[in-house]
Amino acid sequence: MNLLSWPTALLFAGIAVPLLLLLYFLKLRRQERSVSSTLLWKKAVLDLQVNAPFQKLRRNLLLFLQLLLLAAVLLAIADPVANFLDRPQKNVVIMIDRSASMQTVEEDGRSRLEHATEAAVDYVSHLDADVRAMVISFADVPTVECTFTHDARRLARLIRGIEAIDGPSRIGEALPLAVAYSTNLVDIPGIAASSVPEAAVGDAADIEFFSDGRIADADQQYVMRGTLRYYRVGARNDNAGIVAFDVKRIWDRPGMLSVFVQVANFGPDPIQSDVSISLNGKLLPGAGAVREVSLGPGQAFQDGRPAERDGGSADQDLPPAQNVLFEFFHDSGGVIEVRLHRADALATDNVVVAPIDPPRQVRVLAVTDRWPVELYLTRFMKELEIEDFQLMKPDAFEQAPDDALIAEGRSAFDLVIFDRHDTDRLPPGNYVSFGCLPKIEGVSAGDDIEGEPLIYGREDHPLIRYVNYDGLYVARWRRLELPPHAVTLIEGSDSVVMAMLTDPGHRYVITAFDLLESNFLNEVAFPIFMQNAIGYLAGGGMIADRRLVQPGETISIALPPGAQEVRIRRPNGHIDEPPVPRGSFVNYARTQDVGVYEVSFDDDRAGPELYAANLLDAVESNIAPADKFRVGSEAVESIERDAKVNEPLWPYLAAAAILILLLEWWIYNRRIMI
Amino acid sequence: MTQVSTNATAAARKQALLDPDFLARLEQLEIVSRKIHASRQKGERRSKRQGESPEFADYRNYVVGDDLRHIDWNIYARLDRLFLKLFLEEEELNVSVLLDVSGSMGVGDPSKSLYSKRVAAALAYIGLCNFDRVNLYAYADRLVGRVVGLRSRRVLPQVISFLESLPAEGKSHLTAAARQFALRHTQKGVVLVISDLLDKGGFDDGLRYLIGRRLDIYVLQVLSPEEMEPDLAGDLKLVDCEDDDVAEVTISRPLLEKYKANLQAYCRSIRDYCHQRGIVYLLAPTNHPFETLVMTYLRGRGLVR
Repeated sequence: MNLLSWPTALLFAGIAVPLLLLLYFLKLRRQERSVSSTLLWKKAVLDLQVNAPFQKLRRNLLLFLQLLLLAAVLLAIADPVANFLDRPQKNVVIMIDRSASMQTVEEDGRSRLEHATEAAVDYVSHLDADVRAMVISFADVPTVECTFTHDARRLARLIRGIEAIDGPSRIGEALPLAVAYSTNLVDIPGIAASSVPEAAVGDAADIEFFSDGRIADADQQYVMRGTLRYYRVGARNDNAGIVAFDVKRIWDRPGMLSVFVQVANFGPDPIQSDVSISLNGKLLPGAGAVREVSLGPGQAFQDGRPAERDGGSADQDLPPAQNVLFEFFHDSGGVIEVRLHRADALATDNVVVAPIDPPRQVRVLAVTDRWPVELYLTRFMKELEIEDFQLMKPDAFEQAPDDALIAEGRSAFDLVIFDRHDTDRLPPGNYVSFGCLPKIEGVSAGDDIEGEPLIYGREDHPLIRYVNYDGLYVARWRRLELPPHAVTLIEGSDSVVMAMLTDPGHRYVITAFDLLESNFLNEVAFPIFMQNAIGYLAGGGMIADRRLVQPGETISIALPPGAQEVRIRRPNGHIDEPPVPRGSFVNYARTQDVGVYEVSFDDDRAGPELYAANLLDAVESNIAPADKFRVGSEAVESIERDAKVNEPLWPYLAAAAILILLLEWWIYNRRIMI
Repeated sequence: MTQVSTNATAAARKQALLDPDFLARLEQLEIVSRKIHASRQKGERRSKRQGESPEFADYRNYVVGDDLRHIDWNIYARLDRLFLKLFLEEEELNVSVLLDVSGSMGVGDPSKSLYSKRVAAALAYIGLCNFDRVNLYAYADRLVGRVVGLRSRRVLPQVISFLESLPAEGKSHLTAAARQFALRHTQKGVVLVISDLLDKGGFDDGLRYLIGRRLDIYVLQVLSPEEMEPDLAGDLKLVDCEDDDVAEVTISRPLLEKYKANLQAYCRSIRDYCHQRGIVYLLAPTNHPFETLVMTYLRGRGLVR
């Protein structure tokens, strides 16, 4: 229990308590009555005191009750509140999850986000007057809805205005932002210390977290200061959705499309449903366009990943997830849509869409002047049936006209391989560097490292999948200095050997060693790596997976030469016209909804360029609210949503005071009205 | 005017110690002593001594010096021997009233003092009518007034005047008063102690002085209804009207019950003490009609007949 106005109560106590005692003493000035003799009275009093050892207490009962009454009144004046939680700090950061899973429709017909905002508004309305609060909504990226303010009405209004998006839930940016605001320790990219309002300076704030607890990257975060309290929202858990989606053209038959989806059940009961595929809004002809899937209960999912199951009934034995593969011939562009026909709590994950381009050959360029590398690469490309493979000397590459290297604002090649050639001729595209560095900001090489083994390879990355780096021996490599967002693929004991760097329009795979100073060329790992690289990097040339994003992810739109105007039509029909920068790219981040985004330039002569946003997030699809989640090494337990931070207690105290008053009145009258 | 006069008369009668009608009824009574006492004065009561009353008592041989007037000459004529004829002696009865006029007797409506004075006046009148020697003593912490040796109904106004002149004030000290009384009053007879006996010095020592004088003792304890059923409530500072002693009490049901129990026990202890010593004890609440007390209770106890 906290006293919100204890100074006032203290002031009143300083006046009232001595006054009461004074009054009590005044009351002790008894009324004088003359009697014939006090002989028998004294004896009676003495007898009673002897027979009742607690007579003194009885005599002081009224004073005791009056003190009790006064204490109740003073406590009521102090405005006590029952804290079901720790007392909030002076600064409170309210974080509200607005990711896709928060669109789950609960039993009462309202979405989880509505429940969350209601709980947050309720929380705000019970805050002390001297507590400042700010509001951050987040899905994969945070949005500061309101900076620190005392204005509870404004906070409530802004909280009610938060809308859900179809994106995944990530607190990788939101939590540092909240911590930065709450502690004035701004150390995250894009947030300058000077931008933090003065209100945030001071004690670490409490972070009040309204969510269903389905957060993919929570365990990778940590809270430096303050307290994170988690208010669990939601109850339903019956959902099935599409959690994986891939569209590929088969290399040897470029007209064939292979569409892969994985459907998963996250509910407690087995389900049966249909999965259909449409092209340009029309169901594909033939019986294969609709598949039935039978899925077992999904409790076996742990953190969105299927787990091993024990035996059970027939339905119980069904796997909670099933893959469906559609293969059909289609040698032109369009939009593929795969739909799971089931009305469940979350509709966002029941449909996936993908724009496809007409088939074309993968174009690969290798820039090298060393014959062993040329020989191996040529051989592998031939094995991989890459018909459009070109070799170019470094000098020739540098002297080549732009037209030879750039097409429609991007690299003319789907993949460019550099062998010991540092260059800055890097139009948007995909690059693999062996023993050299792309000349871009933040990338540099340091001293050489010799004779150290390779320690770690990120085997879950598509580039390293099935690459046996254990048998790889590298005599020497250069210590790489890379930007923080670079992803390490292979590393030694204390330095990166291979990394991938993704910048808008560019993807670089940087290898720190010379191919000829390792046995990479001679190992099976090399053709596998090259196949992964062509499939992962150059595959975009076949199915533009760079145009498949998760909701909320930024789209980098390559501008055609001379483009003056860009129009983007969102899935809900709204048209955005972002300003066209000087560069060759427009970054567009309002990809909040699942569906197709149509990008058109100037006069629409070339037809719209299509992008698609799909949820494809098993963590979001698993809508069962989590009782707890881990932030770093710390488990955050949920708090009941309707738990109020401050429950005013003064009405109870006032009632108690009245009862005490009545009791005192009754006792007093019982004593004097014999 | 007439109404005012009537009210004044009623008040005066109310305050008057003895009502004329009641006086007439009192004349029928006489004070009875359970003992035969010797007195210095002749009276209408039979004495232990032979004397000159018309009532024959006995004969005895003449001895030299006897009064020749008492020789029964008829016996001498027949027997030729001198015999003295003895007659019963009749002496007066000493009736004493020891009246408490301390401050505590002023309590009550009518006050215990008035009630006590009426009883004293009535007894005095009865005694005077029967030619008893009536002595009235008033006491508080000592004897504060007295009229003694009254022997005729003609002195009734003197008795009334004396009683009316006694204010209820001062501390009560029966022991000291009884000691003084015993020293001064050597005659035997009947003594009536009228008091509330709410004496912090105790009642037993005082009565013992009277017992030592071999008096026929009657004790009349006068209490007011306010003392027997106190009408008190709340937190009070009770002040003793005699010695200003203070008792701070918070009136409660247990306290009242305890007070009443103590009062009963106190009265019972007086009664038992008196019974054990041949003293007649009578409790007289002032709400009992005074006439009833005299005509019924005192007669019942054998003080008058």
